[in-house]
Amino acid sequence: MTKGRAGEPLHVVTVCGVGMGSSLILRMTAEKAFAELGVPARVEATDVSSAKSLRPDVILGQGMHTSEFAGAAPVVLAVSNFVDAEALKRELEGPLREQGWLE
Amino acid sequence: MSPHLHVRVGVDVPGWQEAIRAACTPLVAAGVVEPRYVDACIDMVRRHGPYVVLAPGIALPHARPEDGVVGVGVSVAVLSFPVEFGHPENDPVDVVIAFGSPDSEQHIDLLAALAGGLAEGLADRLRAASDATEATKLVQEVIEGV
Repeated sequence: MTKGRAGEPLHVVTVCGVGMGSSLILRMTAEKAFAELGVPARVEATDVSSAKSLRPDVILGQGMHTSEFAGAAPVVLAVSNFVDAEALKRELEGPLREQGWLE
Repeated sequence: MSPHLHVRVGVDVPGWQEAIRAACTPLVAAGVVEPRYVDACIDMVRRHGPYVVLAPGIALPHARPEDGVVGVGVSVAVLSFPVEFGHPENDPVDVVIAFGSPDSEQHIDLLAALAGGLAEGLADRLRAASDATEATKLVQEVIEGV
């Protein structure tokens, strides 16, 4: 199954404690970053406990949360600044390339 | 209905719990949230960590709709002296933005507008504001039309 730039959208989950504040802001920032990278993505905001059952392609959140997700998704990335789309874009490039989701 | 907005500058607090309390109190006074919402916001950080510090110097405390939220509201407290929330990268914090929403939908446009503003330097403009009137205008410009 082809994903990423050439195929179906990546399933990206942004996490926080409640699932309706910080993670929502990170969702908006992530949507911008993925769009600028040209990688189709469906981004969903959720709380930490729900994220575990979703089996997404990418999990984004504060380091204190993503540490709980080691191995729960092909790409698990700790993000400290939830409003900086440029920084997120730079941090995503390497891991997305490794998965073959970005040329 | 436009969201309730409250902005204060020069807020003097000794620590992160008081910072959250200071940001939430105007929402209680306005009847936007019940008093128990303030404790729920503090408890959320105790249980899940200082993840609400979502960018350098900026915290966005909030809890769940069922923690006593009546309407949509946002209250900003710009602190005189930054406080530590215990975040490894984004401490210390001097802009605290508390919000409440009665469900998981009504605040989405408001947060989108705030996120856009924060990405474009709203926190620095708030830090430089000379009084609450000026700071309120800065936030109003960002959430206009929500």
